[in-house]
Amino acid sequence: MSEAPTSERKTVDPKLLEILVCPLTKGPLRYDAAAQELISDKAGLAYPIRDGIPIMLVDEARPTDAKP
Amino acid sequence: MSEPGPTTHFGYRTVREEEKSRLVRDVFDSVAPRYDLMNDLMSLGIHRLWKARFLDRVRPRPRQTLLDVAGGTGDISFGWRERGGGPVMVCDINKEMLAVGRDRAIDRNILSGIDWICGDAEALPLPDRSVDAYTIAFGLRNVTHIDQALAEARRVLRPGGRFHCLEFSTVMLPALAAIYDRYSFSVLPWLGELVAGDAPAYRYLAESIRRFPAQADLAAKMEEAGLRRADWINLSGGIAAMHSGWRL
Repeated sequence: MSEAPTSERKTVDPKLLEILVCPLTKGPLRYDAAAQELISDKAGLAYPIRDGIPIMLVDEARPTDAKP
Repeated sequence: MSEPGPTTHFGYRTVREEEKSRLVRDVFDSVAPRYDLMNDLMSLGIHRLWKARFLDRVRPRPRQTLLDVAGGTGDISFGWRERGGGPVMVCDINKEMLAVGRDRAIDRNILSGIDWICGDAEALPLPDRSVDAYTIAFGLRNVTHIDQALAEARRVLRPGGRFHCLEFSTVMLPALAAIYDRYSFSVLPWLGELVAGDAPAYRYLAESIRRFPAQADLAAKMEEAGLRRADWINLSGGIAAMHSGWRL
């Protein structure tokens, strides 16, 4: 396998963020740019965006109920 | 001891349902870097012809949106774009496969029109009626609940949208079936060991193919899920089949 090229393209397309919904509730998501998370308030879950790819899996999401 | 939960099949092993998706993910994490090379060797390059036939049937159109599920390494989405299809979202449960696909897209200078999403075919992160075409090539076999994946496909399709599946299927010619069996249970795991260093992953492949519903059974499941006028075309005597159905 050749080395994967390092690319500045590994950011999420903003139009994609508009269309995505929570896989559990099919409800809307809030984009937290600083934390790189998509937050489903209804499900109480935050889906991470890693290396520009939204990880829309319930078992990899962070529960948001705990107050900081 | 707690009550054992529902079980499903992982190849010929019976495993707990919640285990299957993890096991499948492990298989594809393990083989991802060599996945395309293995496909070429295993099918003697024939998978490329199947995918080309599949794209002929899908018929990409510029103003249509495609959701390609389990399309990690990009073969279907690249073909759709190269044939003039509209925007694509690739959704795969496996991050390693998506990483391979995205790097290949950059290598092939496909820099726009494809979005990459890590997601589950059984719980798609897309709204109702949001895509014109849905493809799943060599992916439905690895899903824990096929019925749930089909229901999700129907949900995200717009009325008038079409579902397309390309998958290994049931060989219809007895003479071919015997040769194919010997090949897939002896040669395949050996090739898997040699090239990807993982014989069990390729044994899983052979077993999961045998477990998958035959042509008419899959079409019946599609109808149950509300994908209408379900039909199929066999490829290479039924080694693979292309199914299609409509959300009307």
